[in-house]
Amino acid sequence: MVANTPEQEFETRELLINMGPQHPSTHGVFRMVLGVDGEVVTDVVPYIGYMHRGAEKLCETMDFRQGVGYMDRTEYLANFNAELSYVLAVERLAGIEVPERAQWIRMILCELNRLSSHFMFTGAFGTDVGVFGTAFVYSFREREVILDLFEEITGDRLMYAYFRPGGLAWEVPENFETRVHEVLLSARHGIREMDSLLTENEIFLARTKGVGAISAADAVDWGMSGPSLRASGVPLDLRRDDPYLYYPQVDFDVITGEAGDVFDRYHVRLREMRESVRIIEQCMEHLSDGPILPERLPRMLRTPPGEIYERTEAPRGEYGIYLVSRGGNRPYRLKVRSACFSNLQALRDMTIGHYVADAVVILGSIDIVLCEVDR
Amino acid sequence: MSPEEGAPDAAADDAARDYLETTIWAEVDRALSGITARPVTDEEERSVIDLVVRVPPREVVTALRALRDAQGMNFDYLRSLTAVDYEEEGVDVVYHLYSVETRHNVTVKCRLAADRLVVESATSVWRAANWYEREAQEMFGVRFEGHPDPRNLLLPEEMTDVFPLRKSHPLAEIEVLQGEGIAYEEGEL
Repeated sequence: MVANTPEQEFETRELLINMGPQHPSTHGVFRMVLGVDGEVVTDVVPYIGYMHRGAEKLCETMDFRQGVGYMDRTEYLANFNAELSYVLAVERLAGIEVPERAQWIRMILCELNRLSSHFMFTGAFGTDVGVFGTAFVYSFREREVILDLFEEITGDRLMYAYFRPGGLAWEVPENFETRVHEVLLSARHGIREMDSLLTENEIFLARTKGVGAISAADAVDWGMSGPSLRASGVPLDLRRDDPYLYYPQVDFDVITGEAGDVFDRYHVRLREMRESVRIIEQCMEHLSDGPILPERLPRMLRTPPGEIYERTEAPRGEYGIYLVSRGGNRPYRLKVRSACFSNLQALRDMTIGHYVADAVVILGSIDIVLCEVDR
Repeated sequence: MSPEEGAPDAAADDAARDYLETTIWAEVDRALSGITARPVTDEEERSVIDLVVRVPPREVVTALRALRDAQGMNFDYLRSLTAVDYEEEGVDVVYHLYSVETRHNVTVKCRLAADRLVVESATSVWRAANWYEREAQEMFGVRFEGHPDPRNLLLPEEMTDVFPLRKSHPLAEIEVLQGEGIAYEEGEL
C-alpha cells in the first residue's frame, strides 16, 4: 500500500458559505454568498432587495407633503437628513423661500442626527469587531440622549416627519436651546469615551488596521460617498463642495483618512462627530426668533414642470433625490439615490483576499442601512 | 434659493442659468466633439440647478467615456443612473455625473423608443453603473447590452416580465384613495 503524499492528505477545495439574510452581523436583512478557500475569502456575491417596499413608486402617488413621511422609512437612522434632501428638492423646484430660523433648526437637527447615527455605528461596529458589549452599551446611551431630544421636538423617537416643504411642521419647544447644549455636553463626553474604548484598544486596532482597504481611484469608480469615500483620501463633502442650507456660513473641517482601510472608515466617522458638535455650536449662535414657515404657502403645493437632482451629505454619504415634475402636486418620478447602495457595491473588492472573520468587520465598516439600500 | 442669501433672487438665478448654459456647456461640448449632443434649455424640461445634455442612445456610452476622460472638467464620478417612463413617448435613461476635482455636475439623458428599450451598458465606463443598471432593467424593462451580470437586483430573480416603475403598472387602488378630490375640493387650491 502506498502512503498518501502530504498534498493528498491535506487536500483543500473552495467552499461556498451562505451568510444571511438573517445573520446578526448583517445589520438588517442582507445576504452574501462567500467563496472561501480555507479561511480566506475568494469571492463575494451580495444579494439585496429583502427590504424593497417600492418607496419610489409610492411617492409618485402622494403629494409633496405626504412624501416626507416616506423618506423617514428609507433611512431610519438619519431621518432628518433624508427628509432634508426631499424638502430641499421640492422647495427649489417650486421656488419656495424658507425662513432663516427654519433653516438653522434644520441644520442643527441634521447634525444631531449625524451624531446619533455615528454613535449607532461606533457601538455596532465595536460589536462586529469583537469588543463586545461595553462600546455598544455606552454608545447607545449617548444615542438615546439625542433621540430623547428628537422625541421632545417631533413626538417620535425614529419616524419624525418634521420637515415640511417650506419649513418645519411646528415650532421647537421653548427649552430647545438649553436641551441642545445638554445633549452636546453629553455627546462630547461620549465621543471621548468611544475614543478611549476603541481607538486606543489593542484588539480593536489589530482587527481593523490594514483590513479591507480600497484605493481612492477605486472608491471613486465605485461611486462611493460619505465617510467611506473620505477614508480613502478623497475630500468630497457635499456640505462644502455643493453647499446647501447655511453651511457656507459655518466653519468646519472635511475629515479624510489615508489608507482607506476599516480603521480609517471608523476613525473618519469619529473625528467627523467632533466637527458636527462644532457646527451645531455655531448654529446655536445664529439661531434667532422668527417664523418657521413662509407667510404664504398654498394648502396644496404644486410645482412647475422641470426636474432637479438634489443631493445632501447624509451620515452615510450622498443622499440624492431625483425629482421629475410635469406640473401638479405629485412627483412624476422620484428616484432615491442612497449612499449605501453604491458603497455596498464595493464590498466585493474590499473583502476578497481577507479572512472570513474580517468579512463581518468590513461589512460593518460601510455602516449599511438596508432600508436605504433597498428603498 | 442661494445658500448665502436664503432668498430667491431673479437676477442671480439668471446669472446661474447663464453660467450653466454657456460656460459649462462649452466645456461639455468640447469634450463631446463628434457626438450629436444638445443642451436642454426648454424651461419645462431643464433641471433647476444642473446642466442637462441630451445624447442619442447609440452614442451615449461614447459620450460618457469622453466626459469621464475630458481634460479640465473630467466628470469621473457617477452619482446616479436611473430611468423615467414617458409611456408612448419612450423611456429616458438618466446619468448624473460629477467632477470630483472641479465640483461641477452634468446630467446626461438619452431617450429610448418605447418599442426598443435597449442601450449599451455603462459598466465599461464606471463599475458603479452595475447595480444601477440592474435596477433600471428590472423596474423599467430597459435592456443594457453588454452588462456583465443582468440578473434582477431588488425584485425576485424569476420576476422578469413585470416592470413595477412603468406608468402602466398599477399600484392597487391607492391612486383613488389619495386623489385630489378627497382632501381638497376642485377650485379650493
